[in-house]
Amino acid sequence: MIDRVHLQEIDWVLIGLLLVNSVIGILLIYSASHYQPGNFYVRQVIWLLVSLAVLFLALSIDYKILIGFSPYIYALFILILAGLLFFGKGTAGAKSWIRVTVFGGQPSELAKIALILILARIFAEFRRSHLSLDFAALSAGVVFVLVVIVGLQPDLGTAISFLAILFGCLVLAGLNKKALAILLAGTILVSFAGWNFLLKDYQKKRLTTLVNPGHDPRGSGYHILQSKIAIGSGGVAGKGFKKGTQSQLRFLPARHTDFIFSVLGEEFGFLGVFIVFLSYFFFLARLFRSVGKSRDRSGIYIVFMTTCLLTFQFLVNIMMIVGLFPVAGIPIPLLSYGGSSLLTTYLAVGLVVNVKMRRFVNV
Amino acid sequence: MKDSPIYEDVSHLLKRSSIIFLLVEIVFLFVAFYYWKIQILDYKKYWTLSEANRTREAVIPAPRAVLTDRSGSVVLANSVASFRASIIRENTKNFDESCRKIGQLLGLEEAIIRERMDKYKSLPVFKPIVVKDNLTLEEVSRIEGRKMDMPELVIETEPKRFYPFTTLAAHIIGCVQELTMDELRTTFKERKLGDMAGKTGVESSYESRLAGVDGKIIEVVDSLGRKRDELDRIEPQQSPKLALTLDYDIQAKAEELLTGKEGAIVVLEPKTGEVLALASFPTYDPNKFVNRFTPEEWMALANNPDNPLVNRAIQGQYSPGSIFKLAMASGALDSGTIVDQTTFFCGGSIQIYGRPFRCWFEPGHGTLNLYEAIQHSCNIYFYNLGRRMNIDTIARYAEELGLGKKTGIDIPGEKEGLVPSTEWKKKTQKTAWYPGETISVAIGQGPLQVTPLQVAAMTALIANRGARIYPHVLREGREPAENIKITSAIFEKIIEGMWRSANMGGTGQGARVDKFDVCSKTGSTQIIGRETAEKLGTQRKTHSWFTGFAPRNNPRVVVTVLVEFGGLGGATAAPIAGEIFKLYKNKFYDRQSSSPGD
Repeated sequence: MIDRVHLQEIDWVLIGLLLVNSVIGILLIYSASHYQPGNFYVRQVIWLLVSLAVLFLALSIDYKILIGFSPYIYALFILILAGLLFFGKGTAGAKSWIRVTVFGGQPSELAKIALILILARIFAEFRRSHLSLDFAALSAGVVFVLVVIVGLQPDLGTAISFLAILFGCLVLAGLNKKALAILLAGTILVSFAGWNFLLKDYQKKRLTTLVNPGHDPRGSGYHILQSKIAIGSGGVAGKGFKKGTQSQLRFLPARHTDFIFSVLGEEFGFLGVFIVFLSYFFFLARLFRSVGKSRDRSGIYIVFMTTCLLTFQFLVNIMMIVGLFPVAGIPIPLLSYGGSSLLTTYLAVGLVVNVKMRRFVNV
Repeated sequence: MKDSPIYEDVSHLLKRSSIIFLLVEIVFLFVAFYYWKIQILDYKKYWTLSEANRTREAVIPAPRAVLTDRSGSVVLANSVASFRASIIRENTKNFDESCRKIGQLLGLEEAIIRERMDKYKSLPVFKPIVVKDNLTLEEVSRIEGRKMDMPELVIETEPKRFYPFTTLAAHIIGCVQELTMDELRTTFKERKLGDMAGKTGVESSYESRLAGVDGKIIEVVDSLGRKRDELDRIEPQQSPKLALTLDYDIQAKAEELLTGKEGAIVVLEPKTGEVLALASFPTYDPNKFVNRFTPEEWMALANNPDNPLVNRAIQGQYSPGSIFKLAMASGALDSGTIVDQTTFFCGGSIQIYGRPFRCWFEPGHGTLNLYEAIQHSCNIYFYNLGRRMNIDTIARYAEELGLGKKTGIDIPGEKEGLVPSTEWKKKTQKTAWYPGETISVAIGQGPLQVTPLQVAAMTALIANRGARIYPHVLREGREPAENIKITSAIFEKIIEGMWRSANMGGTGQGARVDKFDVCSKTGSTQIIGRETAEKLGTQRKTHSWFTGFAPRNNPRVVVTVLVEFGGLGGATAAPIAGEIFKLYKNKFYDRQSSSPGD
């Protein structure tokens, strides 16, 4: 139950920033998809209400309890995702979708929460000044199992996002040179193995076209080029709401999901980009400032890993759509269309609020 | 204990977090700068690219100009709307799948579509490539129904050339066909792939005046190339109609008279050189070629042993036979070899240079002067002229009369024919000219070759008493007539012989028309050896020639007829010419001569 004391300590500013960015997202989704069937903006509004409700429901459970259950939650997700891998019928070739209701659900998104919780549990009692090999190996192992399963679906974007969570907890635990070297070696090994055994051709192509987007105008380089044209042609003030030709005439790929920020750039120009940059920056800065406002170590880890995850996704996406990062299929939390992604983000931010509001409770 | 409720020291954790935050701030700044660069510094470049993306320039083809006969009211060629299906390769998802589906939809073989795509693979991927034209309305609706799942298949409208009278004057009008890659690289540089252009006839020679100026639309398209809006439109311009010199009735009559035969008829006005009819038979329907996909039909026509595509009137080269006697007579008089009253005796055959030469009339004509020789087309008389004139003199006069060189008619493909000379023999056969050969040439045999049009032009020259005209089919002034060196007095004598031929029981009497004073000359050219002729039967041994004009004074019309394997000129060609003289007299002459001015 939510204590009156706890209610007073809820970070309303953080929740406000969360909502502001979600509303911006819905406006952009509307502009990017109002002319095609699917009613994506309506669905996103419903998802927003559902997510908000779930967030407040989750606040009533002490995060310590959630951490206590985290091995079971983690195991459950491994089972679901592995099961999907073997039995799932994918949407558009990806096996990550599970039909729950009228809305599609993506369990791999929610697995991020499970990962945050179990990593927080692992590092809850870690008191050394620097990361030790056994903890590095354990946490990396926990993450890589998921990375491999989700990567095989294949959902490279989500798999990479898991690494952002791992990176968060390892940094916090204190990466020394030796651990960093081992981590780098591991990453190289996994990348090598992944390139040869795991990645599909189209994913490889995405990585190679990052180097030269003009080379393959009809493949993934074409998508980056169209996105850059959209953003660049927005100029200072943009072409106006619902007036972006690149978006409305469908030259932009994945307009309401991965390339939603390109719609912003085209229709609202640099001014729009700058304002959303600011509002997102305030949101992320608020998260960073929440690190440490916790009654124990596990809380600090939860907040920092959530912060790293959301920051990573945002930065990677806005760099991807202008060709500074490979097209990895990573949506922007809150802005891109996607129910699972929205729910996951709300749950993660909910965890941060959860940690913060219980920081004065005695152990 | 206010903000840090933890009882142990976690400051090293917070420090690590703030380092990461600092890094994040730097990345934020860097990315913001990059967006500033794209959106503000490179704005122009990306704006241009986005405009190029969304706009497309589409061509509105101009209809070709209308062609009429000389009256200006009988339309010989016009333009009608037609639909064509094209593939935009940019919009294909799976090329093989597309080829298969489109093949099924349009009833085309996949291989044909692929061939077509291959031919035009150098075009930019957003350019439509025509795969089928002249679509039926049923086909159009079938394609429209698949619009959503086959964005690569589009329907375009285009004006299509149409020849309402099908085969009528096909050889003069010609036809249009799709330009080939070679033509686009050389003669038609400013035209586009898939454009049609005149291939033969007037369509080809007056291409620039018929083509018109294409219009264009600048339209807004989406990423699938579907039209969403129109920004600008320039209407196409059709060129003004062109009137030909042809007379519909005479042309139709000429073709009717040739039906079932192989040959040519030329009818022209001697004063102006205007061609009233120019028929060649067998013929073809040019409508069949006004599309991009009938290679079989074209090949079938091209390989047809009767050569329907050949315009026999300007491309057929035949021995002139006795027609050449007109040139011989003119040359003999002008060079002073004989005078009109010079007589020779015809006994049916003659020994020259130790060899017998026969007259076509075996009993012999007896003693004849020049008039009688032309009237009865006596070979012996002209053998005697051939013995007295050398081949180069004959060649000079033949060329002066327009034989052995192009008349310069304004449709392409005209052949030169051949007038032999000592020089020609030396050049082509490396031997000297034998005087015996001159004897054959004197009656229009030997290596001599002429086209029916050359004969008509020569006849006009005679009718004009020495004024050379230039035959043409476009009803606009051409170069004025020019006088040649031979005097009109000489031509008057030739004309006297020609008049007798038609009106005093000569070989041309089949062309006689009451009160129209036809002057004529016939010819029957032996084109195969006697033995072969006997095998084929006597009916098919000679080409049948007729040329003549009427009336004798103030001539109005020249008619030349050639019927391949037609037998004797007097029997086959002359009656055909007679029909045309009659028609001309009824339609043009009687009406005018009844008026007081004439």
